[in-house]
Amino acid sequence: MNRRGAGVSALSIIGGLLLWEAASRFAVDNSLFLAAPSQILIAIFRLAVTGQLARHIEISAIEFALGYGIASLLGIAMGLLMAESDRAKKILQPWISGLYATPTIALGPLFLLWLGIGIWSKVVVVITLVLFPVVINTEAGLRTTSERLIEMLRSFGATRQQIFVKLSLPSAAPFVLAGLKLGIGRGLIGVVVAELFGSRAGLGQLISQSADSFNMPNLFAAVIVLASAGIAMTAGFTWLERKLVPWTRD
Amino acid sequence: MDARLTMAAKKLTVSGLGKTFTSLEVLSNIGVEIADGEFIAIVGPSGCGKTTFLRIVAGLEAATTGEVKIDGSLVRGPGIDRGFVFQNDNLLPWRTVLANAMIGPEIAGRAAAPSRSRTLDLLKLVGLSGFEHYFPRQLSGGMRQRVNLARALAVDPKILLMDEPFASLDAQTREIMQTELTRIWEQGRKTVLFVTHQIDEAVFLSDRVLVFARRPGRVRETVSVDLPRPRALSVKRTPEFVRYVDHIWSLIEEDVRQSVLHEGA
Repeated sequence: MNRRGAGVSALSIIGGLLLWEAASRFAVDNSLFLAAPSQILIAIFRLAVTGQLARHIEISAIEFALGYGIASLLGIAMGLLMAESDRAKKILQPWISGLYATPTIALGPLFLLWLGIGIWSKVVVVITLVLFPVVINTEAGLRTTSERLIEMLRSFGATRQQIFVKLSLPSAAPFVLAGLKLGIGRGLIGVVVAELFGSRAGLGQLISQSADSFNMPNLFAAVIVLASAGIAMTAGFTWLERKLVPWTRD
Repeated sequence: MDARLTMAAKKLTVSGLGKTFTSLEVLSNIGVEIADGEFIAIVGPSGCGKTTFLRIVAGLEAATTGEVKIDGSLVRGPGIDRGFVFQNDNLLPWRTVLANAMIGPEIAGRAAAPSRSRTLDLLKLVGLSGFEHYFPRQLSGGMRQRVNLARALAVDPKILLMDEPFASLDAQTREIMQTELTRIWEQGRKTVLFVTHQIDEAVFLSDRVLVFARRPGRVRETVSVDLPRPRALSVKRTPEFVRYVDHIWSLIEEDVRQSVLHEGA
């Protein structure tokens, strides 16, 4: 983005915040329904000072990191397996397609029942949300290896294994990264919603507790923290993509 | 038969070569002998099987009948005794120019250091000094085709197989690349099989032109091009050159007309 474009975007954000502030002060004027940005800022500050915010963030971060990490590794492994073996693909494909389209988040209460109120019921929800885009993208990336490039390597007498290492893996990398990027947003939703179903701490728990007590500034504070985490991780991923797979830029 | 053949060693021998896809006969009974260091062009109307022929010699496709021999030994599959220059450059986008050009020796498991210095020399030869660490997306079409050529030469093949390598370039770049190829070829005089649909390109580059006919693909005539070397672009305006082009055109004109009228090719 050029400097001028960035300036316009910044103006848009500032304008939106001002409008929000004005609306909540003069139009709604009821903190039970809408908190002003200034009130939210103060709420974040208060939560931070008392150490509550750090505790909630820590719990949610652990749940997200565990679920996301496990789902990424498992997803890439399953994607590799499905790309390499037609039988594995035939066995797994209907489940993957079916579960990808299912709002598995609705199974949250079930996992809560099975695994208890601790972090693992949330970790499993995150896994069910992050796993499928990673599997599907990894498999698609490996299968879409260019026939022309395979032929080029074959003309030098490359073995199947050489074609896999020198061509299939690097050409699947952008797809895998796109799947992982897609998983960030889904994983965050998973953490929050799973915590809403029942938990002792975490940003989702902060949201549900604030909603129960009509504490809108605290509710928005948790949402803002989640949004920032999502934006920061996605931006980090975009940076990583530029470093790792620069050829996909144009 | 060409007098040179009796003097020079036969590099490539093709005999009784045929290819049938399901029920369609694409190539029929092709027999060719090519001497070491000869530059052979193959022209013909689209659908005459000239690319299939090249791919069989490369070992990328199997023949239905007949055989291909290089230095007397039977071709059974792809190998680094042949270097293939593709119509699309087929460069790996995540590799630099140098790493792309070195992929052949790398696959063959050759020592990295000598391959590297050899490939650097080749990149200089094809006019890419200073671009060794560029990525394909930073290069023009002509430059990418130079990498394509250097990559095929990097394995030091006995035979260079070129499949319409300049077809996707604009007319001016194509002419430059033709003179560049002549210049590079003069340095090492490798045996070359060059497939093209441009008759003037075939005459300009080659010692002999194999004119293919279609349905099924076969050699209609072999035209020896006796134009002095080294050749400059100005040779294209000489009456001898024009006579060769006219003659070859007359050989394939009817075939081309058929394919245009009946298949809208």
